[in-house]
Amino acid sequence: MSKAAELAALIGSQTALSNRNLIINGAMQVAQRGTSATGIGGTGDTYKVLDRFRYGLNGGDATAGRFTASQAAITDLPGFGFAHKLDCTTADTSIAAGEAFTIQQRIEGQNLQQLAKGTSSAKAVTVSFYAKGTAKKYMLEIQDAENSRIIQQQFDVTTSWQRFSITFPGDTSGTVANDNAVGLYLNMWLHGGSTYSSGTYNASTWKAQSNADRAAGIDSFFSSTDNELFITGVQMEVGEQATPFEHRSFGDELAKCQRYYFRINYNGDNNYFAAGGVYTTTAAMAMLPLPVEMRAAPTAIDQSGTAAHYGSWGNGATQVCSAVPAIRGSSSKTTCAIDLTFSSLNSATGTYNYRIVNASGYIGVSAEL
Amino acid sequence: MSYSVMKTNEDNEVIYQRTDADGLVRRTCLAHDPEFQSWLSANQSSLPDDIQAKVDDGILTIADAD
Repeated sequence: MSKAAELAALIGSQTALSNRNLIINGAMQVAQRGTSATGIGGTGDTYKVLDRFRYGLNGGDATAGRFTASQAAITDLPGFGFAHKLDCTTADTSIAAGEAFTIQQRIEGQNLQQLAKGTSSAKAVTVSFYAKGTAKKYMLEIQDAENSRIIQQQFDVTTSWQRFSITFPGDTSGTVANDNAVGLYLNMWLHGGSTYSSGTYNASTWKAQSNADRAAGIDSFFSSTDNELFITGVQMEVGEQATPFEHRSFGDELAKCQRYYFRINYNGDNNYFAAGGVYTTTAAMAMLPLPVEMRAAPTAIDQSGTAAHYGSWGNGATQVCSAVPAIRGSSSKTTCAIDLTFSSLNSATGTYNYRIVNASGYIGVSAEL
Repeated sequence: MSYSVMKTNEDNEVIYQRTDADGLVRRTCLAHDPEFQSWLSANQSSLPDDIQAKVDDGILTIADAD
C-alpha cells in the first residue's frame, strides 16, 4: 500500500492521526527512577526503571527468580534508540502455585472512553510491540479489573526482532469508569505458577477473569539465567490495524510520565528543590511545585534513604536533616507537601529553602496508579 | 523489604515507611498508596505488629488485590 493510500485508509477509518497510542513511554525513552535495577523479584508490585512499566510480582507466592531490568541502548532496530531489557539473574525452576511475573501498564479510565467498552458500539483495539530475546512463549493480556474480565493472546519471542501485532475485538460487556482510576491493565505474562497456568488458553476472546487461564501454556522467563527479553515500540490503539509506531518527542513523553511520577535529582551545589516554613525548631514543611498536574495528589515520595542528603538554608545558616523527608497528606495535584526533620534549627518560625546536598540525593513524587 | 508505621503527623495522618533490604528507608507513603497496598495484599497473613494494629483499629484498610 502506498503512503498516500495508507493515509487515506487511516482517515477513512477515523483512526486518529496523532495521540493514537494509549501507552505512555512505549519507546522506552524515559527512566526517571534510573536506567538499571538489579535483584528484582520476590513479591510486591513495583516500578523500578522505565516510567509507567510496572513489574507485577504479587501473585500470592514469592518467586525465587530475580532479574536485572534496564533501559538498554539499541542499534539493531531502526527508529528506536532504547529497549526495555530484562535479564534473568537467578533462575526459579521450583515454581509455587501463586507465583506470577508480569510487565504491566495501567491506563486511566478517562483515557479509554474512545473504546466504548461495555456498549454495543465497543471498538476493537490493536496492541503492537517489538520484542526479541531468548526463544519463549509469553502471553499478552488486557485486563478489565473493574469488571473482572480478560482477553489474551500468546506470542512467541525469538532471538531476532519481530513486530507483534495483536488485535482484540471490542468488549460489549463491562463499562470502564470515566475517571482517573485504573480502567484497563495491559499485561505481559512472563511467568506463572499453577494458580495462573492450570486453566485453558482461549485466544482473543473476552471472558470473565479466570486466574487459572491467565498464563496458560506459556514458558517461564525464570527458567534459566540465560534468559533475556528486549521490548520496545509498545503501542495500543483503537482499531483493527496496527499503524506505524507513534514516536513522540522526549519532552512530550516525559510530561506524560510526570503525571504519575516526578523525580528531582541532585544537580550540583545549592540544589534547592522547594521552599517552605518551619513550625518548631525541629520540624519543617517544604512545598514542592510539580511541573505537570499529577493524576491525583501524591501518595508517596522516594528519597535516597540517608537523612544527611537533604538540608535547609534559612536565617543565615545551613543544616542537614536528621530524618529522611516524608510525605504529607496535605499535598495536591500541583504541589507536594514534604515533612523535613532537623536536630535543631536556629528558629522556630520563618521561611526556609530546602535542598539536596549530596550527589546521591533525590526526591521522587508518586501519584502512580 | 518491609513496611512499618513511621509516624502520625500534626494533621493526624499516619505515614508509613518502606525499609529496604539494606536497612534504609527510601519510601514514605500514605495508606492508599498503590505500591503499599500491593504489599499489604501480598503479606496480609503476616503483617508486622504495628501495621496489623492499624488494620485492627480500622485506620488502615487493605484494598482488594488486582
